[in-house]
Amino acid sequence: MKKFIIMSCLVLWQFTQLYAQQVKGGVFEMVGGESSPLIGANVVQLNTLNGTTTDKEGHFNLKLEKKAPKKLVVSYVSYQSDTINLNDTGFGHVHVTLKNLKNLDEVEVVSRKASSHLSRTETRGITSINEGELQKAACCNLSESFETSASVDVSYADAVTGAKQIQLLGLAGLYTQMLTENMPNLRGLAMPYRLGYVPGSWMESIQVSKGTSSVINGYEAMAGQINIEYKKPDEGEKMLLNLYGNQMGKVEGNLNTRFELNERWSTMVLAHAEYNGTKHDDNDDTFLDDPLVQQVNFFNRWKYKGENLRLQFGFKYLTENRQGGQMNFDPGKNHDTENGYGIGVETDRYEGFLKMGYILKNKDHSSIGFQNQVVYHDVNSFYGLNVYDADQFSYYGNLMLQSYINDTRHQYTTGISFSLDNYTQQLNDTIWMRDEQVTGAFFQYTYSNFKNLNIITGLRLDYNNLYGWLFTPRLHAKYNINEHNVLRLSFGRGYRTANVIAENTSVLATSKNIRFLEDLDIESSWNFGLTYAAYIDIGAKELVLTADYFYTNFNNQVILDREEDPFIVYIYNLDGQSYSNSIQLEAQYEPIDRFELKLAFRYNDVKTTIGDELKEKPFVSKYIGLLSASYQTNLKKWQFDMNLQLNGDQRLPYTGFNPEIYRSPDRSPVYAILNAQVTKYFKRWDIYIGGENLTNYKQNNPVIQADQPFGEYFDSSMVWGPVSGIKVYAGIRFTINK
Amino acid sequence: MKIIKIIPVILLSLAALQMNAQDNKVKIDTVSIQTSAKCNDCKERLEHDMAFEKGVKAVELDSETKILTIVYKNNKTTEEKLKIAITKIGYDADEMPADQKAHDRLPACCQKDAEPH
Repeated sequence: MKKFIIMSCLVLWQFTQLYAQQVKGGVFEMVGGESSPLIGANVVQLNTLNGTTTDKEGHFNLKLEKKAPKKLVVSYVSYQSDTINLNDTGFGHVHVTLKNLKNLDEVEVVSRKASSHLSRTETRGITSINEGELQKAACCNLSESFETSASVDVSYADAVTGAKQIQLLGLAGLYTQMLTENMPNLRGLAMPYRLGYVPGSWMESIQVSKGTSSVINGYEAMAGQINIEYKKPDEGEKMLLNLYGNQMGKVEGNLNTRFELNERWSTMVLAHAEYNGTKHDDNDDTFLDDPLVQQVNFFNRWKYKGENLRLQFGFKYLTENRQGGQMNFDPGKNHDTENGYGIGVETDRYEGFLKMGYILKNKDHSSIGFQNQVVYHDVNSFYGLNVYDADQFSYYGNLMLQSYINDTRHQYTTGISFSLDNYTQQLNDTIWMRDEQVTGAFFQYTYSNFKNLNIITGLRLDYNNLYGWLFTPRLHAKYNINEHNVLRLSFGRGYRTANVIAENTSVLATSKNIRFLEDLDIESSWNFGLTYAAYIDIGAKELVLTADYFYTNFNNQVILDREEDPFIVYIYNLDGQSYSNSIQLEAQYEPIDRFELKLAFRYNDVKTTIGDELKEKPFVSKYIGLLSASYQTNLKKWQFDMNLQLNGDQRLPYTGFNPEIYRSPDRSPVYAILNAQVTKYFKRWDIYIGGENLTNYKQNNPVIQADQPFGEYFDSSMVWGPVSGIKVYAGIRFTINK
Repeated sequence: MKIIKIIPVILLSLAALQMNAQDNKVKIDTVSIQTSAKCNDCKERLEHDMAFEKGVKAVELDSETKILTIVYKNNKTTEEKLKIAITKIGYDADEMPADQKAHDRLPACCQKDAEPH
């Protein structure tokens, strides 16, 4: 469906069909953001001699030959030719824009598409991370996929579980809505370990958008949205085998295979297994640096491509066993103070989905889509003497109609959705049950003048059985000042129901008790964003500069207050201000052929009222710097990647009430992380070797009171930097394309 | 820390390998071959596979004309060998027809009877 929008934005607008076998249209070029007619351009029906030329207004009128393909080849001297499929555009009025080839001698400038790039055509500012980029960090799962992205920060949640979290705009990852193939996913109980649930080699691409997002996927995206596209059963390599190992003893295997059963049906099996069975304690604090993890992850998907009907369904199963804590802890024995401090998390997760798309026969550019997803997630865990067991059943259904009003300048998507979340959680002796049902309707209108302005406005109204009516307005606009300068604006609201325990399992790995002071309201916020992108030609290459500013203001937020009392974490609703300001500058350039450079800097100002005081949000770096360099040799036989990330200082939660030896500093130091990888490509296979955290930077004493893990000041959640040091890994990818 | 020291050495030796290959003085030839490629998929397949043929220094398929231009060392390979390599990937190379088995294994969109797209 996205393709539809892009296609129509780029090349066409159309009116009602006048004559079935007659096609009318115009051929234009873009001059300084304005559309200007091309006089005398050739328009020829494909595989025929049937053709015409455009008049002085750039218009043409052509009778089609019945037997030949319904396609037009549009060409003009020193412009790039284009082939238009009339079955896609309709026959009414075809608007074609040809690109000027700057230099006639160069037959075609083959340029490698930068593997992470800000889309130029999307109204929303979407940065896409494609497979080339994903392979730069060959290990292992979603958490490593953002290494070269300046917008997404990844950090450890605590020192013992190995759980990683993302941040967008300096806001915790839970404010970023995760989608898998445009359906909300990895929510609720999946939150703490979700980055480990998506194996790297399963992903085709990731789209990251900051700020408010579309109303189509619900009201949850508050700070941004991350969509993961898995590999498709009818595209790409026939088989991929990836084996990985690192010096810490972790091994991983991935196997992807796909089959095209016939022209319409295709299926794919994606399988992943990982095993880390070696205990390490390099900082001698008696705690494992990395937890022991066993995971099996399996996904089978099917696709049907009919004339008008598209169907996709699939089933996914994940089982994971995670064990951390002290080196001498034996999970087989009683979990008591004698045995030492241990952590165990057993997870089983089942997902099923069914998506249908139907292209309406009588109306072009119109389609009906129906998305369905079912998730069951079960977790049994212990953190020291805390026992936490929970399960979640969720359903998501979204029925939508996409069409246009009068002509494709005015498109809309409208629909209804229903979602259900059923949680049962038990922490020690306390049980929480929650049955949340949300029924909603939305309308999104997209305007494009096909020159320089695109606007998406959306409204949705939901009824939540726990929190009542929720109204979500959202707006995106994109204005091309000229060919080289693009301005984007976004504004909108978001809501989210907090799952306090599941989202803060790191608090379970402390001596602190959790105390709820009141019933929690739904979290809600407004977000405003402004992005400016400049595309500057320097020599044959283009320098891309982007600057963005995002402001998020919370009307309500669930506050986790650990700064009042050494032994209790208070949970309550925000009473006062809470906001985030985030400014980011980024430059991307290819100074030498096949050598890409990216430099980015971001400043975060994130403050929340904790207690009665407006404080800097803990564990948020004041600033982030990123330098990423990538070089590919001619013929793509070797690839070298390097990235350096600078992390500014973070405020750490107040620990002044602890005895002096159990305090942490007020602020973390500034530190840098260096990752590098070399890949050698062969005809059917690739090998890679790389290192993470090559400067071997580690946080000293990540666990407070590690010598007495059942003592009253024990805290493993004060983590601001890497817990484990340098990691060297190597792997092999074997591909069959035919 | 040992590992940190080793990494630059590995990188340097890899770079040295590359340079060695380029330093050898041999005669470089260029050939243009008309292929039966159809689409961007074909372009990627041909350019990737031909890059790993012996003696090939540069390879590029023109999307418009489907002519594959190959720069190669003439002491390592010949025009004929290159054409045979193309036919084995599944495409016609000038007058040489594609290897039928290889051709039939290509995705439907890349076979000769597919409409250009």
